[in-house]
Amino acid sequence: MPVVKAVTCPVCGSLCDDIELTIEDKEIVKVKNGCAMCESKFLNYNGKHRIRKPLIRKDGKLVKATLKEAVRKTAEILAEANYPILYGWSSTSCEATRVGLELAEEVGGVIDNTAVVCHGPSLLSVQEIGISSCTLGQIRHRADLVIYWGSDPWSAHPRHIERYTTFSEGRFERSEWRGYVAKIKASIGRKKIESVLRRLFLKKKPTVPSSYLEGRVCPTISREGRKLIVIDVRRTKSAEMADYFIQVEPNKDYELLQAFRALIRDQELDVDKVAGVPVEYLEEVSDAMVGCNFGALFFGVGLTMSRGKLRNIDAALSLVRDLNTRTKFIIMPMRGHFNVAGANTVSTWQTGYPYAVDFSLGYPRYNPGETSVVDVLMRKESDAALIVASDPVANFPRKAAEHLVENPLVVVDPHMNATAHMADVVLPSAFVGIEASGTAYRMDHVPLPLKRVAEPPRGVLPDEEILRRILSEVRKIKRKKQVAAEAQ
Amino acid sequence: MIHLYPKKEFDLPLIAECINPDVFQNETCEKIEQLKIWEGNSQKKLGELFKVEENQTASQPEKTAITIYGDMSKVRKIGACMQNGEIMIQGNVGMHLGEEMKGGKITVHGDAGGWAGSMMKGGVIEIHGNASDYLGAPYRGSSEGMRGGKIIIHGNVGSETGAHIQNGMIKIYGSAGQFAGFRMRKGIIYVQNDCGGRAGACMTEGTIIVGGLLESVLPTFSIEGVRKKAKIEEDEVVESPFYLFLGDLTESGKGRLYVAKEKNPHLRIYERLL
Repeated sequence: MPVVKAVTCPVCGSLCDDIELTIEDKEIVKVKNGCAMCESKFLNYNGKHRIRKPLIRKDGKLVKATLKEAVRKTAEILAEANYPILYGWSSTSCEATRVGLELAEEVGGVIDNTAVVCHGPSLLSVQEIGISSCTLGQIRHRADLVIYWGSDPWSAHPRHIERYTTFSEGRFERSEWRGYVAKIKASIGRKKIESVLRRLFLKKKPTVPSSYLEGRVCPTISREGRKLIVIDVRRTKSAEMADYFIQVEPNKDYELLQAFRALIRDQELDVDKVAGVPVEYLEEVSDAMVGCNFGALFFGVGLTMSRGKLRNIDAALSLVRDLNTRTKFIIMPMRGHFNVAGANTVSTWQTGYPYAVDFSLGYPRYNPGETSVVDVLMRKESDAALIVASDPVANFPRKAAEHLVENPLVVVDPHMNATAHMADVVLPSAFVGIEASGTAYRMDHVPLPLKRVAEPPRGVLPDEEILRRILSEVRKIKRKKQVAAEAQ
Repeated sequence: MIHLYPKKEFDLPLIAECINPDVFQNETCEKIEQLKIWEGNSQKKLGELFKVEENQTASQPEKTAITIYGDMSKVRKIGACMQNGEIMIQGNVGMHLGEEMKGGKITVHGDAGGWAGSMMKGGVIEIHGNASDYLGAPYRGSSEGMRGGKIIIHGNVGSETGAHIQNGMIKIYGSAGQFAGFRMRKGIIYVQNDCGGRAGACMTEGTIIVGGLLESVLPTFSIEGVRKKAKIEEDEVVESPFYLFLGDLTESGKGRLYVAKEKNPHLRIYERLL
């Protein structure tokens, strides 16, 4: 049975590129090295929700059509629209996004990617403050302090800790995996002894340990080796693994970040607690931050989408900038979709802006809040939409989704998702990274190749090819219109 | 005096930088109707979308005055870069009202969209309804905020009012959202009623006066004392005891944040430090 090695996983922003797939009768039968999400995608991508034929809505029902008909209908919708939106792009290849941008310019629409509902605020703040960052390889080999703020890598980026941070075996920093296993074993042993004692002698109710170690100084914060700090509103699975966990009150991240900034600058605070955390603990953590040789702060949607949004990131970026006056520190957003960083990168090198680009005046304009898709939909301004590799009906605010489906809607997706069910035209596409090759950018902006390891269903094309055909058809319609106008 | 009446209810966004007294100055109605305006992705003539009327009165103002009747909430950039004259809008108005304006006056008898008075350098904007987010704040990525002029809002405003403000005055007689005066460098922001949290975050200089409830003061502000009054303008002083905070410590700032004492009993904890 052929085994394909070094496959890049098209699931999350970690973009693990050490996956080994066993292929039997043109089907993937075994996945090695992948996390649960990776295995699930590679083994089940071709399930019952797969769209195999193009569909067009006729008399209220989606009926099968030829690819030519569907492309023609899509081109008509886009060419006639006065303010169309083109949304998605984060779960497809950079090559497809490039064609999408060309199409957006041709039809004078608004092109936006899923960053608008995840790390858009991060991009806005990076433009104001700047970012001190590096590649994940640097972190793997050198970072001795890793902070995850508002993100739970154990659940959302399962191999991030193992491949790039605390549990990875770096050239200059050892993995903390053994220490964690020992800690778990000790914890299980302690719980067992406590349980036995409780049942036999004391008959006491179990005590709930305080988040802040009942007033004692954390013993692990000052130990040698790689340290992991988790800051979140709840005790996540990642927090269980951390040397130090700070439970911040919901929507108080900005206050906590600003307090850290002041403490790092050796300033005294007038208050005793910030965001529910005693200042003495914050001092301890800020000492650890200043005392490390190479620190890395990863932040997730918990920071970008909680109250304060881009200003939370503004404070986080400023904190890292301040820390760099004392030690080496970097910051990196935990990107969700496997190629959301690629969608931003391609959009930036094509238009100058990473997302929410408006071509309605013939040149790219950018002002999230004004030109971002969710806001355009909430104000009911668009009159048609093309959705590529995304499901906005399932995750946009209800009012936005309502306006999206009220107008002509085209979906290019491998799956029959909620948006496809509401669409006027559905174009099936091949899975990028499984049935189509391409390029994707990892969360640290390293481009990686996506491999084609299986055949798509007959007649199903990759996103890039479908978009090229739509673009060519739109150009034909526009040329005809121009000729007709000149004749008049 | 020029009167504009929208011919229909607008669905698509309109970019109408040409609705500006400097552009209309000494022009006939016919010429004004030929001015270009963007509706969605197509360029139209102003006359296709608006009925233009010229009203000659005995007491004709020296500079052009424009009055717009109807809902203009989809129309953006009205009065952008204007230097003289007056615009009055009887209805709501869209984003970027009076962007980078240098002089003249804009009055709105309705609500205004985001970025009203963005990066303005002079003149007056008075809004009798509410204003949305980023009042007087610069466009995305820029740190060059409002440099002069005056904005008066009789209703409420959204978040990040006067972000990056370098000079000038913003007076709000209603309530304000969070992050009022974010990264403020100079100038005055007065909020008569309640103010969302994080007022004056990262400010370095300037004054913010909150007459109502301030949700919380950032931990990076230190209390300076209690003051009997706070001065907004030469002839406008608010007589009420105020807590005075200085900040933001993270930017080594010396900004002044006045918070009404009576409306903010939760700030009494700071009195132990006085």
